[in-house]
Amino acid sequence: MVRQARSEATRRKIITSAVELFNEIGYPATGLGDIIDRAEMTKGALYYHFDSKESLATAIIEEASAHLVAAFANITASSAPALENIIHGVFVVADLLSTDKIARSGTQLLRAFGEFNDAAALVYGGWVAEMTERTRQAIDEGDLRAELDPQAVAETIVGSMLGAELLANATTAGADVLARVARTWKVLLPAIVNQESLSYFDEFLARESLRHSDTPLTD
Amino acid sequence: MTEQLDRRADTTRLQILRAASHQFARKSYSLVNLDDILADAEVTKGAMYFHFRSKYALASAIIEHRGTVARASVDQLLAQKLSGLETLIDISYLVAVDDIGDETARAGLNLLESIGRTDGLQEHIHGQWVTAFAAIARKGIKDGDVIGDRDPQGIARLLVSMYLGLRQTSNLAEPERFLHDLEDLWVLMLRGFVNPDRIDYLEKFIKRRTMVALKRATPL
Repeated sequence: MVRQARSEATRRKIITSAVELFNEIGYPATGLGDIIDRAEMTKGALYYHFDSKESLATAIIEEASAHLVAAFANITASSAPALENIIHGVFVVADLLSTDKIARSGTQLLRAFGEFNDAAALVYGGWVAEMTERTRQAIDEGDLRAELDPQAVAETIVGSMLGAELLANATTAGADVLARVARTWKVLLPAIVNQESLSYFDEFLARESLRHSDTPLTD
Repeated sequence: MTEQLDRRADTTRLQILRAASHQFARKSYSLVNLDDILADAEVTKGAMYFHFRSKYALASAIIEHRGTVARASVDQLLAQKLSGLETLIDISYLVAVDDIGDETARAGLNLLESIGRTDGLQEHIHGQWVTAFAAIARKGIKDGDVIGDRDPQGIARLLVSMYLGLRQTSNLAEPERFLHDLEDLWVLMLRGFVNPDRIDYLEKFIKRRTMVALKRATPL
């Protein structure tokens, strides 16, 4: 029991150190030796948990996406209308990307490994599937236009939000990701939302900034 | 062995609470008969008295049990990270949907009305709600939805009073009417403490919540 807890603590330490280094100097420049130094442990301890830098990266990707998916699912589990949950959920995920180091590093690694790692297809595919489900619901509820193809809408949402995140990373190291996500939604909404619901959703979107203010809800 | 016994005792206790909620949700406190609860729960009188010494003890246990469940679902709503006022509106609809269709919720609020005046129970529980809602109303002020000079504590008391009064003037057995009455009261209240330029959006938000609640609410 104690041993298991210690082993988990070691694994955590390795992941945290790797994430710090990837964020500071990038994945390619980081060597396993740097990670061992930063984590202050032996080569053996690292190899016990991860057999290569890539397996370490895969672990970070998996942890990050599990965390982001859970955060999104937590929002969409609410009984609120599906389109409200989709928009708000995307903001909650984007907010996590700017505050949670592992989530951010995992997303960047996912992009770097996109073409030659199974994790990428799995993660992106999962997002599109989840978004397709929610989109279908929003069409049923009448907020999204009835003639739309749920999967096409889902791919557009996921694709444009990933793009907004990529641009935020490339230009401001991710600092303005929430503002970019808001601008992207602003352009996207008129294309997919029913005429009667549009003014409501414009306002719903405009309010996202106050939903992410620092004020805690209870004191 | 003890663990197993404990677990069995827990199950019995829950069984009794469930059967009692079934009764208290439908009948007034004085009309509920302990024998009906026993028959419903399929437990012996001895088992019942082992867990609850009196009808009053059983009733307070339901109120307490409901309080725990309600607090957990409010925490879940807080984790949704909506704005303060949106959260308060969502809480009121959540309470209404539970009150309409959930026996423990209905029984808990019924009992709070009938036995709440003893032992300061009502004062204590309403006080807890007011404190929790006031904190959320304070966020509403920071969000710019609630007019700056309004007293968060006063808004919280108004909300609690509104809901408890609505239970008297509307009818929980008619979800459609109850939820529309809730909507009407919200729309009226908004004028009292919400900034004029936010009212239009919040009214739409409330109407959309009524639609969602109508789909979810199934009467007892």
